[in-house]
Amino acid sequence: MQTVSDFYDSAQRPPAMLEELREVWRYRDLLAQLIERNIKVRYKRSVLGLAWTMLNPLLMMAILSIVFSNLFRITLEHYPVYVLSALVLWNFFSQATLTAMTELAWGNSLLQRIYVPRTIFAISAVGTGLINLLFALAPLAVIMLAIGVPLRPALILLPVPILLTAMFALGVGLALSILAASFADVVDIYHVALTAWLYLTPIIYPQEIVPAHLQWFFRLNPMYYLLETFRQPIYAGVLPALETLAPASAIAVSALVIGWWFFARNADGLAYRI
Amino acid sequence: MDWRTASDRDAAIRLDNVSVCYRMPRERVASLKEHAMRWLQRRTQSDEFWALRDANLSVERGQVVGIIGKNGAGKSTLLKVIARVLRPTTGRVRIAGAVAPLLEVGAGFHPELTGRENIFLNGALLGFTRAEMRAKFDRIVDFAELWEFIDAPLRTFSSGMVARLGFAIATDAEPDILLLDEVLSVGDAAFQRKSFERILSFRTFGATILFVSHNLDAVKSMCERTIWLDRGRIAADDQASAVVEEYQYGGLGLETRQRAAGPTAEQRWGTRRIEIADVRIKNGNGAEEAIFATGDSLTLEIDYWAHQPTAAPTFGMGIHRHDGVHLTGPNTTFSNFPLPTLEGRGTVTFAIPRLPMLEGLYHISVSVHATNDPEMYDYHDRCYPFRVVNANGCRERYGLVSVRGVWSHTRR
Repeated sequence: MQTVSDFYDSAQRPPAMLEELREVWRYRDLLAQLIERNIKVRYKRSVLGLAWTMLNPLLMMAILSIVFSNLFRITLEHYPVYVLSALVLWNFFSQATLTAMTELAWGNSLLQRIYVPRTIFAISAVGTGLINLLFALAPLAVIMLAIGVPLRPALILLPVPILLTAMFALGVGLALSILAASFADVVDIYHVALTAWLYLTPIIYPQEIVPAHLQWFFRLNPMYYLLETFRQPIYAGVLPALETLAPASAIAVSALVIGWWFFARNADGLAYRI
Repeated sequence: MDWRTASDRDAAIRLDNVSVCYRMPRERVASLKEHAMRWLQRRTQSDEFWALRDANLSVERGQVVGIIGKNGAGKSTLLKVIARVLRPTTGRVRIAGAVAPLLEVGAGFHPELTGRENIFLNGALLGFTRAEMRAKFDRIVDFAELWEFIDAPLRTFSSGMVARLGFAIATDAEPDILLLDEVLSVGDAAFQRKSFERILSFRTFGATILFVSHNLDAVKSMCERTIWLDRGRIAADDQASAVVEEYQYGGLGLETRQRAAGPTAEQRWGTRRIEIADVRIKNGNGAEEAIFATGDSLTLEIDYWAHQPTAAPTFGMGIHRHDGVHLTGPNTTFSNFPLPTLEGRGTVTFAIPRLPMLEGLYHISVSVHATNDPEMYDYHDRCYPFRVVNANGCRERYGLVSVRGVWSHTRR
């Protein structure tokens, strides 16, 4: 039985961030089960099940390809791969952060009753997103081969941008979930913000369609760097350039540290709400 | 840990001056937009609510302790502090041993998952590994009597079935410390008996049990020791039967002692031309008393202080039952007891030869006002409590009062 460690002393407490890490490790079995549950529940509810994870970005890609190449006359080589590679990463980020909010809302009633490390809900949301991302990479590979984008050795580096995006998503998810636990409108505001963010990021359009004097705007966008580090190995077959990889890493680490700190600072208050 | 090697080596739970303060926003701010606006205007105000104040407690290993008190007295907060769910605002909590708190019925379950999947998920929430849960699985399903449904989604379960499953999972362990919050009301009568027996069986393992309940008989029969919480403070901590009896009949506890100190600002109004300086409730022997039996005599003494000569005032009193029922409201004018012009200090006495009301908590109000115009000099609203208990041979239980009627019988 390891419900609560055998000795507990409220006066002797390691720093909140470290304590939380240790506890998450102790509850790793719960983490695995929460992720498993999220995957199971998702596929139980839909007829297409697992196939949906792969079909969804594919359909999106098909629509965007038709719209952009026929209406806007964007002639970008291998546009489907350009857009799909960014979409799967974007979907991972948006789903992970949104799930972090709903997970903590579900867990909140539990937190009034039992001790569970509280970051575990956001971590399981990101974990669930990672699994779904892996599933979505399969159709991406198929499309690449189908339209003649070779699978090049630079792909070996893909885990790096995925890990960085996961860290960024966890930081954002932690901060948002604790806000959403207090304020009902956070989820709605975030939905709107996500849509705006999607269109402000060069995901479905090439960066070059924006006039040169406005290019600086992309450089304020954390997701821009993460997307570029992810897309370069897939689309161009080259290793991510240092001028995108360095800011991407800095963004991921600082988002995680700030998000975790903000969460730990406010998490004790969760159980006080009555 | 050092403190366990000391004299209190066998303490499973130790609380030193533990207080818990909830912050309650003065107005409900549910949206971020609103909160941001208030914050910008520096208008985020919140009230403090001390759910637990200066609680000192030491529970030996193997003790079964009941916790009683009214709603909002801090019982659940006490359990939460011990379960590590709440961190104390001040003070220190030390726990030696694994704590297994009971889940609220249905919390932590997911409706789309099957009973089987939910058992594993719930177990993980309680800190068990998958391997441990596999070993427990059969016992849990046996106890919950849910073999037929175990692979159906939980949303198809009745609420009673969900409750049984939750209880079976949470108690299938041999925890060192078990926290029970009103759980004996789960399921039907047969299942209640079964759960009661299971809790009793923990005692034989030597588990420390904290048992919150409104069922005073259950507390008396299960616990050796009982803690009575009153507005966040430990009002009594002693042998179970003594504390339960004190709670039920006797002591009005802190509430009485605090209120007897006099009215609060909201309980008092009037011009104070004549001030009511002190009020005493006395029994037939002339001693101050807070507990009476139906049929006892009660004397109310009202000390006044007339700051200026005041002609013919009227003194009155009223009795309300704790639920607000107004029982009576006599005054000196109704009783044709004219008072002279009053100046300085004095005492007006109202004697009730036989209290007619049945068991319950009552509050006395006192007043002094002008007889012929509506000026209220001083009014103390329901701030002098006393309790009437079932004793002295009065066995009536129904209604408000005993009319002291006499039965007779003749045969035709």
